[in-house]
Amino acid sequence: MSKSLVPELPTTAAEPPARRPTDWTTGAMQKRIRRRYAAERRFRLLGMAAVVLSAAFLAFLLIVMLARGIGGFTETRVALPIDFAAARLPVTPAQLRGRGADLALAGAGLEGAVDAAATTAFGKDGADLLSDGAWLTVRDAVKRDPALLARRATVEVPVASAIDIAVKGHGTPGAEATVQRLQARGLLSRGLNWRFLGNADSTDPTRVGIWGAFKGSLLTMLVTLLLAFPIGVFAALYLEEYAPRNRWTDFLEVSINNLAAVPSIIFGLLGLSVFLGTWGLPRSAPIVGGLTLALMTMPVIVIAGRNAIKGVPPSVRDAALGIGASPVQVVFHHVLPLALPGILTGTIIGMARALGETAPLLMIGMRAFIAAPPSGLRDPATALPVQIFLWSDQVDRGFVEKTSAAIIVLLVFLLAMNGLAIYLRNRFETRW
Amino acid sequence: MAAGALAFLILGLGLIAWLAARVRATNTRTAATRRFSSLPVHHAWFVALCTVLPPLVFLGVWAFTSPALVTDAVLATPAAVQLPPPGFDRASILSEARELAAGRSYGAFHELAHTLAPAYAAAQARFDWIATGLALLLAFGGGAAAFARVRPGFAARTHVERVVMVLLLAASLIAVLTTVGIVASLLWESARFFSIVSPLEFLFGTHWSPQVIDARDPGATLGAVPLFWGTFFIGAVIAMAVAIPFGLMSAVYLTQYATPRARRWMKPTLEVLAGVPTVVYGYFAALTVAPAVRDLGAALGISWASSESALAAGLVMGVMIIPFVSSMADDSMAAVPASMRDGSLAMGATSSETIRRVLIPAALPGVVGGVLLAVSRAIGETMIVVMAASGVATLTLNPFASTTTVTRQIVDLLTGEAEFDSPKTLAAFALGLTLFVITLLLNIFALTVVKRYREAYE
Repeated sequence: MSKSLVPELPTTAAEPPARRPTDWTTGAMQKRIRRRYAAERRFRLLGMAAVVLSAAFLAFLLIVMLARGIGGFTETRVALPIDFAAARLPVTPAQLRGRGADLALAGAGLEGAVDAAATTAFGKDGADLLSDGAWLTVRDAVKRDPALLARRATVEVPVASAIDIAVKGHGTPGAEATVQRLQARGLLSRGLNWRFLGNADSTDPTRVGIWGAFKGSLLTMLVTLLLAFPIGVFAALYLEEYAPRNRWTDFLEVSINNLAAVPSIIFGLLGLSVFLGTWGLPRSAPIVGGLTLALMTMPVIVIAGRNAIKGVPPSVRDAALGIGASPVQVVFHHVLPLALPGILTGTIIGMARALGETAPLLMIGMRAFIAAPPSGLRDPATALPVQIFLWSDQVDRGFVEKTSAAIIVLLVFLLAMNGLAIYLRNRFETRW
Repeated sequence: MAAGALAFLILGLGLIAWLAARVRATNTRTAATRRFSSLPVHHAWFVALCTVLPPLVFLGVWAFTSPALVTDAVLATPAAVQLPPPGFDRASILSEARELAAGRSYGAFHELAHTLAPAYAAAQARFDWIATGLALLLAFGGGAAAFARVRPGFAARTHVERVVMVLLLAASLIAVLTTVGIVASLLWESARFFSIVSPLEFLFGTHWSPQVIDARDPGATLGAVPLFWGTFFIGAVIAMAVAIPFGLMSAVYLTQYATPRARRWMKPTLEVLAGVPTVVYGYFAALTVAPAVRDLGAALGISWASSESALAAGLVMGVMIIPFVSSMADDSMAAVPASMRDGSLAMGATSSETIRRVLIPAALPGVVGGVLLAVSRAIGETMIVVMAASGVATLTLNPFASTTTVTRQIVDLLTGEAEFDSPKTLAAFALGLTLFVITLLLNIFALTVVKRYREAYE
């Protein structure tokens, strides 16, 4: 390589042939220089265009998601007058205290009473204007104030998905007309959709929430962190501090570096065949998802950890060894604490990647319809990105804004994690 | 006893052992023995490890062996005589009985499962007690033996450090175990697939439609060439057509032209592109890019332009890869010796001439290696193609036509309702094996290129 770069030196010190210096003032040369400078500007502009276009794509993506998704956090409510006294629900005030209240009200035919009230208030198809979950809102209102049962009251209940979309400006002509009729009577109002943050999946877009998926993600990430972090840090310490230089260590290194580049779906296949097939763990449980993602995250932590450990200067080790520390003490008392910020940065980035990962979770069956948040590591669960995938497949138009809203939540978490990693890196970065 | 409670009990015992050993070691320390290497805390850790590790290892092994022992015990009971001979029915009755006994389900399809459930519960309870007893015995035994050794002259530190080293080694072995697990499970399932379908038919067949598998000749509709082509077309052609120019030019601009201030802002911004989850890209591709591409195709006069075109998936995938290519190009240009660049500038070349004629040619091996790594990442990418590409396998050069990929087919094959042993599900593992081998070769080749090139300049 270097040989061709070195010009052959003349063996005898011969006089170079006389050469007229270039006249830079001639028109031809000036034109040439202008051409070269123009090329320089074009090239520079091209580079800037590449950066700006990439950033513009990111901005476009974020704006589209924000514009579509922001509506998912709000809901439309309609004021529904209900004559509880006339409905004569067979519940006693005693039943409304304590834990049996939900059951008592459901058994008393509250759902039917709400539908009847809607028909009275809005005409023949009145019940279709309300969300399937409208009576739950009424139920909660009655639970808060049992005195309602004795009189007429107006309760604000969520409307059906079609009406909600029409209010937000994308509805069908029929729904638009209904909305105009209701708005003329001043019955519609908008408000924050708290159920979206508190519910689990549902078949009705007005009742869905991300809490179930989010809790599934949290449990999965917990398992991933508990496994991947200690194993990753220990492996990094071993490889960087203790491993003898031999073929076996080379093999270890190659297999870790290669694992970091294996497509994520392959880890899903491993999880399917080993954790579900051989070990017999339950399908779609956070523990299986966590195990699978831990195997995927561990190499990332090992690589980041090794770089951080490499950054600790040898003088620290020499000094500790010099005053009589054992090799284990050197590493655990001095090297590890100094390398910890770097390791944590790598861990957060790896965890952020795992949080956004979908494909391996699909493989191990975390794509079922789960209507209740998981309460343990072995319960069926889904995860936030998988929930996004499932909703994106739904035909109902109401799911479009819910999907984008869930994406906003996921992106907020990922950006916060990445921001934290960058902050940690800048705050604790030590220049030795 | 529940496994969690037992583990807590053992850890509690470990804590007690730690405290007791520390007190004893402190009390037996005299001025004369202060010079020994082990501090009281080392003795404490030694005793705690001897208390905790043996029962935990035992329980780990037990978790894998006890189901078989329990089943054997159940089979020895009189009720088991009615069981059908070994086969699918027998296995399903036993697993139903196990679920009933554990209280995880309340109804069973087979009547016999209800009869066997009590026997199962009894055997399970008996073995649980045996396990608890043995684990506690090991904990107390190990703890006591270690406690007896707490004396000033005992080199507890050496022993503790040896255990720590074993733990560190074990942690790094998990990476190897994962690799072995991936290779073994893929090979095992693929071997079963290839015993049904000939590898030649799979690798060179040009007709892929797993929905209609003829039981007499399953290989006829499982030819994977259209998938390989689609994967190559989307991941290595279309995506790279976006990622290489954009990635390379942004690396050039950010390293050679941008002011440090602009660089500090733009580089993390571009890296956000790599941090956006792929499911978000997939949704974006399906919802926004794909219709636009279809309309573009229609405007160009292609009336059959698909809304699940290769172009939409490839374009978005390319954008996702930009930061990856950019940082690889950045690294390889930074590795070019400054003297080469300075020499070119000193000869009067403009910056762009230096970059095009000196910097990029000198960095080319590194850039090529980076691009190969990017290709390996693109062909393994799943969610974008699952959401934006098509499920129909076609061999086509037209970017507006629908195309499918290996990863998309793996997802489609495994998320349908099919039993685990059908050629359809096994084909997914064969595709996975192919994908794994190709990305492995690409990675190894790319890393070798990058490494050799770095060494050339060092």
